[in-house]
This record gives sequence, C-alpha cells and structure tokens, in this order.
Amino acid sequence: MEEVGSPAVRRSCPAGLSAVRAETIEGLTELEDLERVYAQLCGEEAEVQTELEALAGQQSSIETKMLALQRLGPNLQLIEGDAAQLSGMINFTCSLAENVSSKVRQLDLTKKRLYQAIQRADDILDLKFCTDGVQTALRNQDYEQAAAHIHRYLSLDQSVIELSRQGGESTAVDASLALLQEAELSLKALVTKRLEEAVATGDLPQVERFFKILPLLGLHEQGLAQFAQYLCSQLASKAEENLLLAVGSDLGERRAPVIFADTLTLLLEGIARIVETHQPIVETYYGPGRLYVLLTHLQKECDVQAQKVVDKFIKQRDYHNKFQVVQSSMMRGVSAEKIEPRELDPVLCEVTLMNSRAELYLRFLRRRITADFEVADAVAAETVIREHHQSLERLLKDCQLSRTMQELIGFYIPMEEYYMRETVNKAVAMDTAEAGQLSSSMVDDVFYIVKKCISRALTSGSSDCVCAMINHATSMLEADFREVLVCKLRAGYPASALQDLQRGVSSAVSLMQSSLQHGKIQTLGIESQEQAKSAYLVTLNNVEVCSENISTLKKNLESDCAKLFSQAAGSEHAQAKIDSCLSDLMNTSSKFKDLLQEGLQELNNTAIKPQVKPWISNFLSVSHNIEEEEFSEYEANDPWVQQLVVQLEQLMAEFKVGLSPMIYDTLTSLMTSLIAMELEKTVFKCTFSRLGGLQFDKELRSLVAYLSSVTSWTIRDKFARLTQMATILNLERVSEILDYWGPNSGPLTWRLTPAEVRQVLALRVDFRSEDIKRLRL
Amino acid sequence: VTMEDYDYLFKIVLIGNAGVGKTCLVRRFTQGLFPPGQGATIGVDFMIKTVEIKGVKVKLQIWDTAGQERFRSITQSYYRSANALILTYDITCEDSFRCLPEWLREIEQYANNQVVTILVGNKIDLAEKREVHRQRAEEFAEAQSMLYLETSAKESDNVEKLFLDLACELIREAKQNTLDNNESAPMPGEGKNINYLSCCSIN
Ligand SMILES: Nc1nc2c(ncn2[C@@H]2O[C@H](COP(=O)(O)OP(=O)(O)OP(=O)(O)O)[C@@H](O)[C@H]2O)c(=O)[nH]1
Ligand SMILES: [Mg+2]
Repeated sequence: MEEVGSPAVRRSCPAGLSAVRAETIEGLTELEDLERVYAQLCGEEAEVQTELEALAGQQSSIETKMLALQRLGPNLQLIEGDAAQLSGMINFTCSLAENVSSKVRQLDLTKKRLYQAIQRADDILDLKFCTDGVQTALRNQDYEQAAAHIHRYLSLDQSVIELSRQGGESTAVDASLALLQEAELSLKALVTKRLEEAVATGDLPQVERFFKILPLLGLHEQGLAQFAQYLCSQLASKAEENLLLAVGSDLGERRAPVIFADTLTLLLEGIARIVETHQPIVETYYGPGRLYVLLTHLQKECDVQAQKVVDKFIKQRDYHNKFQVVQSSMMRGVSAEKIEPRELDPVLCEVTLMNSRAELYLRFLRRRITADFEVADAVAAETVIREHHQSLERLLKDCQLSRTMQELIGFYIPMEEYYMRETVNKAVAMDTAEAGQLSSSMVDDVFYIVKKCISRALTSGSSDCVCAMINHATSMLEADFREVLVCKLRAGYPASALQDLQRGVSSAVSLMQSSLQHGKIQTLGIESQEQAKSAYLVTLNNVEVCSENISTLKKNLESDCAKLFSQAAGSEHAQAKIDSCLSDLMNTSSKFKDLLQEGLQELNNTAIKPQVKPWISNFLSVSHNIEEEEFSEYEANDPWVQQLVVQLEQLMAEFKVGLSPMIYDTLTSLMTSLIAMELEKTVFKCTFSRLGGLQFDKELRSLVAYLSSVTSWTIRDKFARLTQMATILNLERVSEILDYWGPNSGPLTWRLTPAEVRQVLALRVDFRSEDIKRLRL
Repeated sequence: VTMEDYDYLFKIVLIGNAGVGKTCLVRRFTQGLFPPGQGATIGVDFMIKTVEIKGVKVKLQIWDTAGQERFRSITQSYYRSANALILTYDITCEDSFRCLPEWLREIEQYANNQVVTILVGNKIDLAEKREVHRQRAEEFAEAQSMLYLETSAKESDNVEKLFLDLACELIREAKQNTLDNNESAPMPGEGKNINYLSCCSIN
C-alpha cells in the first residue's frame, strides 16, 4: 500500500517522467488498482499535451526577437566608432586646458611680481619720503615726526630694501638709505641725549616727551632705564627729605614712636603711586609686559632708600644694642644689664609695622607685575610664562628690602620672646588672689600677654614670624608656666590642725609621721596654713583656667590668622604652617588637664582620705548584730550615717567655695569612690543580724541619697557592689538569693562574684554555713 | 587626633648651613624629584609625608629650615618640639662641616634632650669634589653619638633610607617611652618627662 500511495508525491520529479513506474504497473494484479493507475496516467498525458501546446505557441515571438537582434548588428559597429572619436576629443580638450591653466599661473606670478614691484616702488617712495621727512623734521626739531619716519623706515621689510638696492635705482636708494641710517643714528643719539638732559634737570614734560619717542626708535630698554632713573631721583630726593624730617621730628609728637615706620611707608607708597600714575603711558608707548623692567630699576632705588630708613631706625632706636642685651640676658639667665620689657614695647610695635608695610608693598608689586605679564603673555609659550614668573619671584625674594626686613624680624623674634617671658615672670611675681575669686590674677595676665605678643607678631604680616612666636608661646606655657603651677601644687595641701585636734592625739601623731615621711614638718601657724590651703585650691582653679584659656587663645588666633593671610599669595602654605603650630599650642591644653587630675588626686590623698577613712571605720563600732529593740533605738538616734553626712558636708564645704564647680564635682567624685571602697572593706569586717542587714540597707540608702545630691556624676555605679551586698544582707533565708541569681536576676547585673556572694552571706550570723556552702551559684 | 589615619606623628626638622641641599633632600623624599635651580629657602618650609613601616602608618611632618643666618631666630623656635633633627652638611664643602659644632651648640641649647639627631653628608654624587672624608665625618658623628649617613639628593642615594631609618628609630623610642611611662606613675610635677612621643600615638 505504501508504494501505491506514493506516486502522487512523485509527480513533481524534475525529469518529467511519469510518476508511475513500468515495473509498478507490471506488478499490479487488482483491477481496482489498475483502473486507478490508468486514470492517473490519462491525467498525466493530458497535462503533457497542454504543456506542449503552450511551448509551440511561443515559437513565433521568439523568432521575432531573433530578427530584431540581427537588425541591431550594424548599429553596434557605428557606436564603437563614435566612442573612439569622443575619446580623442576629450584628450584634446584636456591638453588644451592644461595649456590654458599654465598660462593663468604665469599670469598670477606676473601679477604678484607686479604688486611686489609696486610695493617696492612704494617703499622706495616711502624711503624717499622718510628721508626727506626726517631731514625736515630734524631741521624743525620735530623729533616726534622724525622718529615717526624712522619708525616707518625701521618697519620696512629689510629684504625689500636690499632688493631695491640691487635694482636699477640702486644709487638713489643707496643714497636715501645712507641718509636715513645717518638720520636714525643722529636721532637716536639726539633723543637719548635730550632725555638724559631732561632726566638730569628733572624736567618732567621733556622726560615724558622723549620717553615716548624712544620706543619708536626701538630703544625700549634705554627709554625705560632713563625714565626709571628720573623716577628714582624723584624718589630719592623725596625720601631724603622725609628721612630728614623724621630724624629731626619732635619726640613729643603723636607719631614719633612709629616715625620710621611712617617714613618707610611714605617711600613705599610713593612707589605705588608712581606705578599708578605712570603705568598707563608705559603700557601705551611700550606695550604690556614692561612694568617688570621699570620696577626692577625702581626697586634698586627703593632698596637704597629703605636701607637708609632702616639704618637710621637701628641707630636712633638702639635696635641692635637692645637685641644684644636681650640676647645675653636670655643666654645667661641673670645678667648685670637687663632691659625693662616695657622699654621694648614701642620698638617691637614699630618693627612689626615696618615689616607689614614692606609685605603689603611686595604684595602690591606681585599683583601689578603679574597682571601686566598676563596681558603680554596671553599667547606666549609656556617657557616664556614660566621664565617671567621666575624673574618676578627672584625680584621679590632677592631684593635688599626683603633681606633687610628679614634681618629686622630676625632680631625682633628673640626680643618679643624676651618681652613675653619677662612680662609673664612679672605677672607671676605679682600674682594676687582676690578674696571671692576662684583663680588668681596671673592666669589671665599671662594669657593676655601671650595674646598680645602673638598678635603683635601677626601685625608683621609674616607667617614665619607668627609661627615662631606661637612656638615660643607654646614652649613658655608648656615648660615654664606649667612649672610655676607644678611648684605651687608641690607645696601640697596642708592637713588642718583643727581637724587634727578633733581627731585626737593619736591621729595627730600619725599625721605628723606622715608629714615627716613627706619630708616636711607642719610648722605652719593656723593662719599661714589657711593661706597654703587656699593657695593650693586657687592653683587647681588656675590650672583649669589655663587649659580653657589655651583653647580660647587658639580659636582667636586661628580666626585672626585666617583673616590676615587669606588674600596673600601662597596663603594655603602659610596657613598650613600656622595651623600646625597652633595645634601644638592646643596640645598643651591637655597637659594642663593632666596636671589638674594629678593635683586633685593629691588633694584627695592628703585632705580627704585621712579624714574619711576613720569616719567610715566608725561603722565598725556600731553593732549590726541587733534585735528589734536596738533597731528602734537606732531609728530614734541614728548611730552613724547622719554624723557621717554632717562630717562630709563640713569637710567639703571649703572645697565647695574654693574650687570651680567642675573641679569640685570631680573631687566629690573621687571622694565618692573612696567612700564606696572604704565602706565595702569595712562591711566585710562586720557581722549582721536580719535587722542589722535592714539597718545597713537604710544607712546605705541615706548615704547614696546624700552623695547623689552633691554631685552631678551618677554614683549608683560606684555603689553597685555595696547595694548588692545590702540586698544579700537583707535576705530572709540563704536560699532566697536564688530568687535574684542566675536566670532570675532580671535586669540586675551582679557585680559580686559567687565567692563574694557567699562571703557576704556568711556575714549574717543567722545563716548556716552549710546552707551557704550548699548553694549552687 | 585619634580619628586620623596614622599610628604615629613625628616632627622632623632639617638644619645646616645654607646651600648644603636640605630643600633638595626634602623634595626628593616627598615629591621624588630633584628641583632644578632650587632657590634659597625663606624662613621655614613645611611638608607632610605618610609612610608605612611594617604595617605601622607614620605621618612625618617635615620642617625644612633656611640655612641663612638671618633666619636663625625663626628656625630656632622649631627645635624644641622636634622629635628628630637632620643635621646636614655638604661633603664638597669643608666649611659646612666645620660649622657643625656651632649647630650642635644650637641643638644643645634649644632642642629637647630626647631628640634624635642624625648627621647627613649630602652631594656624594660629586665624589671628585669631596673635601670631607667619610671616616672623618663618621668619627665626628660617633663622638657626638649621632647616627651618620651620606646621601645624594640628586642621584636619590640613601634619601629614602634616611627618612625611613629615622622613622624606625622614632617608633622604637616612642614604644620604649610608653613602656617607661607606664612603669612608674609620677607624682605631680615630679620629674615627669613631657611625653612628646607617646602623646601623638594612638593606642
Ligand atoms: N650635585 C648635587 N647638588 C645638590 C644636591 N643637593 C642639592 N644640590 C644643589 O645645591 C644647591 C643648594 O640646594 P638647596 O636644597 O637649596 O640647599 P638648602 O640647604 O636648602 O639651602 P638653604 O635653603 O639656603 O638653607 C642647589 O643648587 C642644588 O641643586 C646633591 O645631592 N648633589
Ligand atoms: Mg632650602
């Protein structure tokens, strides 16, 4: 059946053969099959017939097409001929065009030459015109006109002039050139001479006149030099006049103490004014970028004149001598000759003022020259710009004015340091503690002085100078002034004689012994003892004020410096240096804080501990192994805690009035720790009944309540162990501890170890040791 | 301070005659270059470089002082807080070597007594111009109990070593110092050394 089903599929065989193979037919036996195959074959035959007919139908149209093709043949030959002809024509046109364009090129060249010829003719005419013009102008002394002609001549293309000389007119041109060159030389000489004369006589209109002419002749350098010379001589005469006035000025005058700073200021402002006035004509006639040259000349005169002012200052103010004296007295400590710091005050002010003026002036120069170079170097190469920048830096850094000022500041710093140290010493020596004041006069005085000295250094405008003074202030505070306070603390806090008496002979003796051990015998009278006490407390307050003052000083200086150095060139660098020095200053603050802690510890050890210990020990003499009757008795007449509170109150009273709230608070906290520690030790030495435990709990609560009321620190933590001990001593039965222990502890964190818990339980006389041992903690 | 990204902070101050190459040494170390036409330093320059030594971050604050006489009073104010001083001379300049005792007097007078001082002979690339023999310098340094090193800022010889060795030494001393200070708790003002080194370390 498969075979039978497939023929229909094979119909599309490309060979066009019947889909039914002969063998298949031969193999057919069934009629039905035969009929079906026959019908299929008939169908195929009909199809083939139709195809044949269609193909025969196409024959005529194919024949027509063949005919048309045959007719095209001769036409094609024609086209080939035409194409060859066309190609020949194109070649011809091409060479023709080639020909024409070369002629155009020639024409161009000719035209260019023609123009050059015209230019040359123009130049020659100009040359002639210039030659004649120069002569006439020179005759009429019209130097501007003459210079304009020479300028025209100088701006002519030199190669063109050369060419002209080779041309037919060579003799005429040569003659003109010779004349012009001669005129150029004589004009240069003449104008230069006239400028020199004008400079020499100080004739400003003539100076300006010839100054403007020189650049036309290419004499920029000479023009600037001459002009500068004029300005310098003006500067010099004015400066000498001012200096003479300064030296001869009345000492009583208001500005007398800063007269040299004022004189220097006049000089520097004079130069600034020159820049303001003359920069426009320099820029107009010489172009931008010339200010540097002009100011290099002017700076030389400035250096000379400034040096004169400084020399006079040094002489009249005895500056070097003062420095020598200061130097030697700082080296040797005590020296025969000593300067009153107050005497240095004016000269220190004046010298910082002088430096600040110089800094201001140099900053002005930098700004102006930089701006001028920027205009000139807008399209200049990187190397040129860098070179200009470097020359400017050199000018500012290496000028004598800078050096002279650096020298003055070099002397100033040790003198300011001396002033600071000496004045601080005075403040320490004159230290007074007003009644009712917590700290004494010297702390604020010292910081006032330090602030004054650094601020004065700051007015100099030199960051190095400020840094040096900050460094010296840091050294002085950290070493010397701290040492003053350390010495005062080392004198110690004397134990009160009155309290010694209260405590009875035995403790007085023991105190005596302890004093002996400390290497000092209490021989002070009551009055001087009181003084020593308050001196100690005042010193503690002073130490605290110091660390606060250091922070304030640092903050103030920080903002002052930021204001002063924010606009200056290289200000970030200066700022970074200052910040670093200031942070060193700030670090000394913590050194004072450490000292305060040590001083308080000492006070706690000498004044509080010896008193508080016996008061706590008194607990031992109050039995806590008590019955109902005693418990009620205690309730009526408190046996211990009330007195303790009164004693503590009395003890701390003098500290409360004598110490700053913060220090007092810290001291109270130290005392609280001490009480907690001592009481714990004491409790372990007692025995308790159930009611005794209750009694202790009451006492502890009163004590904690009192201590909480006198300090801002939380003291619950310090008393945590004691509170837990009270809880244990209050239990009904040993096993009740388990209600609070381990999983039952709830929010409670035990500060006692299991061993300690047993130890506390054992303090209860009514708890059996077997029960305690049996506990599983 | 404790939040900053270093374990130690040390102040190093370079001193020595003008022109011996202090600035070049610092620029070589901090910027890795030899500056052409280095001008004289005015006052004091300040640079910071953080290095890591065996996992310890050390911030070096380097103060490059001017050698010229007129800046002496400025530079002297930096001695006291310095942890280390690099005393530099020029091996091709006898004069700079002969000035060393003067510099040592300055150190004696102004620096704190825990300061670490290292003597550096610079410009060894100019061997043919040497005026100070190595042995002579070594003997001098030893007599003054200073470390000694020869460098060339130009050729970058021993420059890294100079600063790193110094940092190592300073770390060692700082550790020693914290140990010493923990052993004995001093009474107020009783000869407690000002704890320069440990104050800047993070614990
Ligand atoms: N050949 C050579 N020249 C050096 C070396 N170090 C520095 N110089 C040169 O010595 C000169 C001075 O170098 P500086 O680094 O400015 O000297 P300085 O000690 O900082 O000088 P002051 O700032 O004035 O104290 C410069 O010309 C440097 O190029 C070196 O290792 N080899
Ligand atoms: Mg330098």
